[in-house]
Amino acid sequence: MSHFTWVRIFFAGVATITFLPIQGLVEAKTESSFKKEVVPFFEEYCIRCHGPEKSKGQISLHTLNGDLSSGHELERWENVLDMLESGEMPPADEVQPNQTDRSVIAHWINRGLRDYINKANKVTVATTTRRLTNFEYQNTMRDLLGFELELVENLPVDPDKPYHFNNNAKMMMIGPDQLVRYKEAARKAMASAIVDPEKPEIHRISSKWGHGKPGKAGLSQAEIGVYQGPGVGRKTVGLKSWPKTGEFRIRVKASGNFPPGFEEVALRLVMGTDLRHDSGSGVYQEVGTVHLTNTSDQPEEFEFRGRIENIPFQRARASRNKIIPPSITITAQNIFDNGELNDHRKSGFDASWSLQAPRVVLESLEFEAPVAEVWPPAHHTRILFKSSLRRAKPEEYAREVIKRFMQRAFRRPVVREEIDQYLRIYKIYDAEFGTLEGAMRETLAMVLVSPQFLYHMTIDDDGTSKQYELASRLSYFLWGSMPDQELFDLAATGKLAEPAVIEAQVRRLLADPRVLDFVENFTTQWLSIAKMKTVNINRDLFPRFLYTVHVGERRGQEQLFRPTIRDYMHEETVGFVGELIRKNASALNIVDSKFAYLNEPLAVHYGVEGVRGLELRSVGIKPEHRLGGLLTQGSVLVGNSTGSAPHPIYRAVWLREAILGDEVKPPPAEVPALSDSAGDSAEEAISIKNLLALHRNNESCRDCHVRLDPWGIPFERYSSIGKYQPLVPKDKVRVRGFNPKQDQTLAGYQAYLKSVYTEEVEASSRVPHGPAVDGMEELKKYLLKDRKDEIVENVLRRLLAYGIGRELTYRDRFEVKKLLMLSEEVGYKLQEMIVSICLSPTFISIENKEE
Amino acid sequence: MKQKSWHINRREFVRGGGAALALPFLQGMSWGKAMEKVLPKRMVVSYIAYGVYEPKTKDGSHHDWNWWPCKETGPLTFNQSALPFAPLKDSVSYLKGLEHAGGVGMGGHSSGDVFATGADMTVTEKTNNVSVDQVAAKLNGHQTRYPSLVLGTEGGTGSYGSAKTLSHYGPGRPIPSMHRPQEVFNRLFKPYSGRGVDQVRADLKREASVLDLMLDDSKRLHRRLGKEDQGKVDEYFDSIRALEKRVERTSQWTHQPLPTVDTKGLNLEVSHKDPEEYTRCMYDLLYLAFQTDSTRFATLMLESEHSSGSELWNYANYVLGYKGATHDIAHKRPTESGQWDNWRAKQHAYFLERLRNTPEGDSNMLDQTVVVWGSAHPHASHSTKNYPIQVAGGKALGFKHGNLHSFEGEKKVPLANLFVSMLHAVDAPVKSFADSTGMMNELMT
Repeated sequence: MSHFTWVRIFFAGVATITFLPIQGLVEAKTESSFKKEVVPFFEEYCIRCHGPEKSKGQISLHTLNGDLSSGHELERWENVLDMLESGEMPPADEVQPNQTDRSVIAHWINRGLRDYINKANKVTVATTTRRLTNFEYQNTMRDLLGFELELVENLPVDPDKPYHFNNNAKMMMIGPDQLVRYKEAARKAMASAIVDPEKPEIHRISSKWGHGKPGKAGLSQAEIGVYQGPGVGRKTVGLKSWPKTGEFRIRVKASGNFPPGFEEVALRLVMGTDLRHDSGSGVYQEVGTVHLTNTSDQPEEFEFRGRIENIPFQRARASRNKIIPPSITITAQNIFDNGELNDHRKSGFDASWSLQAPRVVLESLEFEAPVAEVWPPAHHTRILFKSSLRRAKPEEYAREVIKRFMQRAFRRPVVREEIDQYLRIYKIYDAEFGTLEGAMRETLAMVLVSPQFLYHMTIDDDGTSKQYELASRLSYFLWGSMPDQELFDLAATGKLAEPAVIEAQVRRLLADPRVLDFVENFTTQWLSIAKMKTVNINRDLFPRFLYTVHVGERRGQEQLFRPTIRDYMHEETVGFVGELIRKNASALNIVDSKFAYLNEPLAVHYGVEGVRGLELRSVGIKPEHRLGGLLTQGSVLVGNSTGSAPHPIYRAVWLREAILGDEVKPPPAEVPALSDSAGDSAEEAISIKNLLALHRNNESCRDCHVRLDPWGIPFERYSSIGKYQPLVPKDKVRVRGFNPKQDQTLAGYQAYLKSVYTEEVEASSRVPHGPAVDGMEELKKYLLKDRKDEIVENVLRRLLAYGIGRELTYRDRFEVKKLLMLSEEVGYKLQEMIVSICLSPTFISIENKEE
Repeated sequence: MKQKSWHINRREFVRGGGAALALPFLQGMSWGKAMEKVLPKRMVVSYIAYGVYEPKTKDGSHHDWNWWPCKETGPLTFNQSALPFAPLKDSVSYLKGLEHAGGVGMGGHSSGDVFATGADMTVTEKTNNVSVDQVAAKLNGHQTRYPSLVLGTEGGTGSYGSAKTLSHYGPGRPIPSMHRPQEVFNRLFKPYSGRGVDQVRADLKREASVLDLMLDDSKRLHRRLGKEDQGKVDEYFDSIRALEKRVERTSQWTHQPLPTVDTKGLNLEVSHKDPEEYTRCMYDLLYLAFQTDSTRFATLMLESEHSSGSELWNYANYVLGYKGATHDIAHKRPTESGQWDNWRAKQHAYFLERLRNTPEGDSNMLDQTVVVWGSAHPHASHSTKNYPIQVAGGKALGFKHGNLHSFEGEKKVPLANLFVSMLHAVDAPVKSFADSTGMMNELMT
């Protein structure tokens, strides 16, 4: 009780200091002023487009009755308020109300909303009870068991909605089919977590490679040349036997051979089936990557570890009346990439560049599984702890084992009857299984399909539960996983909800490597960047962007089994957001920043010099690089293009949803699509700007698109593959792809491109209720100058929605406004913003407690 | 109680599968003397996304690449786009002018959510509702080892407005679709994962007692929750109860040997990178499920709307070498659109022909199976009216084919009327379904 009061006082203080009504000071005598002030205002400025005759954007205002206290139609009222406050409505070419009138109405709505929210918060609360997302499930299992087991592969795929987080109750449902899979996953987990008592057989294999005379490709036996397609750039070791479960260890002795000008090469180990570059078949799991800088006269030993259960294997198969037994292939790859691998090839079979590029020298590789330095392993004794009870009082021991496991699995203390329940289940299994291990595996698997494990929920609405709930809320927000011991301990002492404690914990969680899971999951969903990987790149127009297979049946398609530029683009965006948080930098960096987050292939792609190696890092940038912030990152630009051309509508939607926080509705039924609205002209090459103009001239498209398209036009100087490209071909000129016969060299092709890319790209537009901006620099300047509040508010809303696992509504409006003011006070520093979110009543959900 | 339901099941089972002599496990049954010659009655709903191509020619003739096989209502002729169905002329019908009123307000690509349900998600209902296959499965699903089979190509349930499944148990209860061939195969044909039948029965018996305890535990938990949270956890209880029923059912079915399945030519490790082989593999699995009478009711979401995060997005590229996204085909006007529809038609015709070429009773499997194939919007215009709809098979269940029907203008009826007819055909004589106003008599003999 006392802790919660503390927080409330803290917040009340903030509120009174900074929150003032917007200008004008009108008495809100609700009903009379609705008729006297609001209705005439609507009639004068709004109803013509949003009334009984027309309802543009499917919005009409004449039906609003003015009684906000009834709680109806508050979403619509909030919408009206947003439009008035931002100045977006009435549109610029219509008669504008004066500033006083505008504020009077805004104030009236604000007041009504606030009154209702204050009253309603005491009555109902949106549910945040929901099952774990697959992401949370995987991480929770990892932290609960103490090792990483691939468990979500066979769970039904989680729902996914662009620009929304899937960790809310509406999305996270459960059904019998889901439950069956949970049970299978849980049994798999327990089969690995609890081992049999006898020490297992150790499976070992090792290979050595000599330096001897170079072979026909000019490489010695131990050398792995740069990966350039089929048969080149790898070395394999086959496994014929391995344990069913357990940790494996691979030790390699490796170094690099560096021609002048190179000083680093990456060695990656993957395991799975044989990877067939010709047919494209093969499945694998990455084991690890080392960035080698030591030369071959100083070989070093490197160790990799993983779980054998996660490795896909080749099933036994019949071939010419013989059965080929199952196998696993360890593949060592040289994944060196300086962004130029496409440029050195003379023919499909040419790999001569291998000798001029850095090589991995792999002298030996040893595989061993299971790792049994200590037996049984720690993850086993964590559950079946050593104790004399086991022999002396088996039932008491079983109870204690179950209790300890349940407490961690349920993320809170358990009551006696809950333990009894699972003890009963244990007895059912114990009667049939010969061993404690066997029975306990099944019993604890049932703990892992219980609602207490699978759901985020509030059990027993009391102070103690609140403490544990808060511990989980913090850890699932910032780690995507269960609380650790320190959080549990604090919850146990009842001190966790103290603001100073919360703040210290948030900072501790943010400093832990597990925060990267949060950043990855949050950023991917917030910015909706996953689709970038499936955009179909026009390889004729962009012959250098992807590494393609040059021979065989997959000729012309993207090379498989290696990280690609698009993987790096994803890491770039996730890493960039991670850097902002790590550095406690201003949230406004998402619009523009003085650094980019790059590795060598990305830097080459964007035209930034002096970045070496595959590891991504912060790189200072200059204006001429035309980078900075999220808007110019490949993940955003490629993902919102067609693969051949930029797509200003996609990019506009992205900007409004991801950065400005607007909800852009999909095109309604019965409106023609972009190219259809342009009529027959779509059959011919036509510039996108002209196409958009035709589209906008179509009555049914115009109302929405006049407020959308202008946001996408300033992106036009960035190509479909995310490069700055200020020149394009003339209308109706078709660009041909790279043709080795015609162009001879890449330089030849570039000369050709130069000859057709003659037109300056038009990238200027007047943004809705804003000025004309020409291109990205001006757009960014405008956003930072005039849209700062919207942008920061959006970041706050996204973080808060993700943190509490539900969509925000009009009810959260004033809480968010408070957070916005707090953010301004701390210079929009991201860590501070996250701290204030975690201290807010909405996050701690203390308002539930008020009567 | 258990005993009783088992007896009913066994009788039903014998009646249901009795004449399908192709089934290896029936030949071994010793108690088959009371067999009646009632063949399985099956239903499939399958879905293609992003609509279809419906161009017009300038001279008023029917466009060769229009998804509709011919222009005039009446006997079917086949243009280029629909050519793969020409050999199936007497087993297919095309229905023009149908839609689910409930999907009209969903806009853009989202109406695919209600293709098999007809639910009115935008106005009267907040969630989706029971799908047509599940209505049949609820009534007659006990006759087979699995009440229904829910397949997709992306898997899971998807979310509001971008479903990845066609099937729903009821409001707020989407059924995740399965999309990995190996997994589908194992769940259908290797449900015991290598255990002997006795072991399976013992395991199931134990599982039943454990589930009982789990349910008790959940009930106690229920009391400790706040009111808002109880509703959400009800999902969980329902799931446990459904599992209990499933355990009971599975143990009943252990008395029937598992079917042996001919896996020749079945590549279960195929991926989306090879759309033709993948799509055919899913069709093959569905065929095998029917052929072994493992289930009779199925949905197959061949493509889902909003697939930009999946390899499906590139299908047209892999298949036709088309340079853009598959979705964009619908919005552009190259001949690829027609070729794309033609490719889809080929795959579906492959499935229909496989059914037709398998004898069953006096005719063939296709005559015992009614198959709907279509999309929840026509091409390009983002319209949610006038779905492209083809119905095939089920001739032994009362359907007649060979015509293009139009329900445009004054003849307007809800698409749900077709679903009511389909349900009647598979012995699920419901009075109505979604917004239905009657039956689709035009298709019935």
